[in-house]
Amino acid sequence: MTEIDNVAIADQIDQSSHPSSFLTKYIWSQDHKVIAIQYSITAIAVGLIALVLSGLMRLQLGFPNEFSFIDPASYLQFVTMHGMIMVIYLLTALLLGGFGNYLIPLMVGARDMVFPYLNMLSYWTYLLAVLVLLASFFVSGGPTGAGWTLYPPQAILSGTPGEHAGILLMLTSLAIFIVAFTMGGLNYVTTILQARTKGMTLMRMPLTIWGIFVATILGLLAFPALLVSAIMMIFDKVVGTSFFMPAILSLGETLDHSGGSPILFQHLFWFFGHPEVYIVALPAFGMVSDIIAIHARKNIFGYRMMVWAIIAIGGLSFVVWAHHMYVSGMNPYFGFFFATTTLIIAIPTALKVYNWLLTLWRGNIHLTVPMLFAIGFIFTFTHGGLTGLMLGNVIIDLPLSDTFFVVAHFHMVMGVSPIMVLFAAIYHWFPLLTGRFLNNKLGKFHFWGTFLGTYAIYLPMHYLGFLGVPRRYYAMGNTEFIPESAQTLNVGITVSAIIVGLVQLVFIANVIWSTFKGKKSGRNPWQATSLEWQTAEFPPGHGNWGKQLPQVYRWAYDYSVPKVKDDFIPQNFSPEEVEYLSSEKRNNQGEK
Amino acid sequence: MNIFKSLQEKPWLPVALELQTKLPTTLQNREESVSTALQFFLAVITVIFFLFTITFLQRTQSFDFQALSGEPWLPFTNADILWQNSTYLLLASISIILANKFAQQQNLYGVIISLTATALFTLLFISGQVHVWQQLNQSGFYIATNPANSYYFLLTGVHALHIVGGVLVFMRCIWLFAVSLSYQQLASRLKLCAIYWHYLFFIWLFLFFLLTRDADTFKTIALICGF
Repeated sequence: MTEIDNVAIADQIDQSSHPSSFLTKYIWSQDHKVIAIQYSITAIAVGLIALVLSGLMRLQLGFPNEFSFIDPASYLQFVTMHGMIMVIYLLTALLLGGFGNYLIPLMVGARDMVFPYLNMLSYWTYLLAVLVLLASFFVSGGPTGAGWTLYPPQAILSGTPGEHAGILLMLTSLAIFIVAFTMGGLNYVTTILQARTKGMTLMRMPLTIWGIFVATILGLLAFPALLVSAIMMIFDKVVGTSFFMPAILSLGETLDHSGGSPILFQHLFWFFGHPEVYIVALPAFGMVSDIIAIHARKNIFGYRMMVWAIIAIGGLSFVVWAHHMYVSGMNPYFGFFFATTTLIIAIPTALKVYNWLLTLWRGNIHLTVPMLFAIGFIFTFTHGGLTGLMLGNVIIDLPLSDTFFVVAHFHMVMGVSPIMVLFAAIYHWFPLLTGRFLNNKLGKFHFWGTFLGTYAIYLPMHYLGFLGVPRRYYAMGNTEFIPESAQTLNVGITVSAIIVGLVQLVFIANVIWSTFKGKKSGRNPWQATSLEWQTAEFPPGHGNWGKQLPQVYRWAYDYSVPKVKDDFIPQNFSPEEVEYLSSEKRNNQGEK
Repeated sequence: MNIFKSLQEKPWLPVALELQTKLPTTLQNREESVSTALQFFLAVITVIFFLFTITFLQRTQSFDFQALSGEPWLPFTNADILWQNSTYLLLASISIILANKFAQQQNLYGVIISLTATALFTLLFISGQVHVWQQLNQSGFYIATNPANSYYFLLTGVHALHIVGGVLVFMRCIWLFAVSLSYQQLASRLKLCAIYWHYLFFIWLFLFFLLTRDADTFKTIALICGF
């Protein structure tokens, strides 16, 4: 077979397409690796803003009335912007736009995404969405303070901060983000389906790719619900239609709306909102599976089940949305249905947790920084998952709804957990980007600070929830049923939150320092099997694979294979290239 | 389906040597990957219209909903103008198939005429739709006066955006043909454009049917759907 046959849509090497100027190489780049870094830097930058917002919220909660610049309106604006930025503009963008972009072509053995131009357009549209969102900080009235769920009718009525420009900029920014995501998402699924190299069957793909693949499909099918609701709410606000707006009396005035259904918005929002949890979680599941297998030098336990579980979770995530709406006055039978589906989704999820643990069991565990974060993830995810099971039951959810218990639950399961995986992934793949390690000591400090610190933040929040402390309140006032000790806990949480925030600065300093001065890693420093470490140049250059695409002979988890000299066999090693221990050499040729 | 078979693969088992020389490959040509992306894109569009439809059907059952047909004074009791617009879109959809055929036969005049016809009929459809909006406004059926009006403007507006997206790709395709594309490349691109146009046409027929029913039909539909 000639080389040309082997290189189809992944683009045959065309020297003329190699970027030469600074602009085409780093700014208007169509190289998936550069776009991934652009996505990541933008997402992390906007995430830092959201981190500062959460710090401001905590200052108010820990030390009420001490900070004159935080008033009730700005507190609600911080809550809203923190939530929306973290979920959409940081996590979704970083996991799929950042890691998806970087890893898909490298892990499936393609030269680039199938549509590089569309990929570039996706990033710039995403940047536009971020800028439109951030613009709302500078308009009169400030950003919207409607809560990240943006429930009408209150979101667009007077009394809510940012009721004019703020909410419109938020909805517009979301719509633009969805356009950007769709462009990126079409690229990811098509690249995975069409541009895999020779020998890379679906079931030989690393779980990272499986996670990203299914999450992207979820995104493509779930984001339309947010788009639809954003468009309809913009119409209600600007044109005066009544899609979501019922007949309403606002500040003594009868408004022109009538007959709309606010509950309808909730259904649409959560039809997007719940799959969104898994859009964030599935890539994290995939990456953590690979990191655990690599750093425990063991094949992932139950690979096939892991793939099926990812698909099952993806499918089920579309039929559980109304568990976010138990208090909206729904038919009890609906509540029963959605509680049941919610509990069913725990089965494939628990299966994954068991498989991670069984991968660790009797593995040759290397407690590297990525591994520490991966193990930390198992803790935080199990923790957040179990409180999810509690809240999934209608009868437990009703009293705990809108309390800090819910805040603690979703931060553990979809805040801290994906962030732990993101850190694990950054420490793990940093040598691939730069050829250097991140500093190990600073990394360990970062891990322990983050891991223990986030527990110090969120564990007490569960107790606040049990005490009935409501979320989204600027101040408790003289609420009789809340004891004094709740405030003491709040102080502790705030101090922990500030410490965790500061620890992240150590991480950023580590990234900047290590990019230029870090210890050189050499090729394939973790001795991984997957294709991204087997490129011709290291770190991989434009086109990824030099003259010829790799050929894949095995799955991505051949670690500690008996009788083989090294404890890993890269996916592109043909049977002839595998070195056996000398006494076994002849017997095992061909791996029969 | 094939996918179920491949999901049952056991990748940890060693592969026999003779099979390793025939490594499975997914490498395809560009047309097939664009086709895959198009299928996913149309799935996304389908979800968008599906969700709009669900909300619409629920809204038809509220007390203030007044259907747009069924009584002599309602605008779509006589929907001739919408039938006329539908015909334009159908003709656009047919002429793009012809353009594809002509491109395969490398018949330049045929290609030019059929592409012009596609553009013309698509523009006629859009201007026809704008005309309907104007008529509705002139006869007092404003966007915010009634949920049925709101949905009519909203859904036909989103459909128009969908068409404009297609027209942009279509224009780029013609531009590339004028500059560099071969007949074969043009034909493969037109094939995908044709799928897009047929899809536009079916979505339009669906919207046409949905938005111009009378109150009784909505009641029946809602009853069947459980609203």
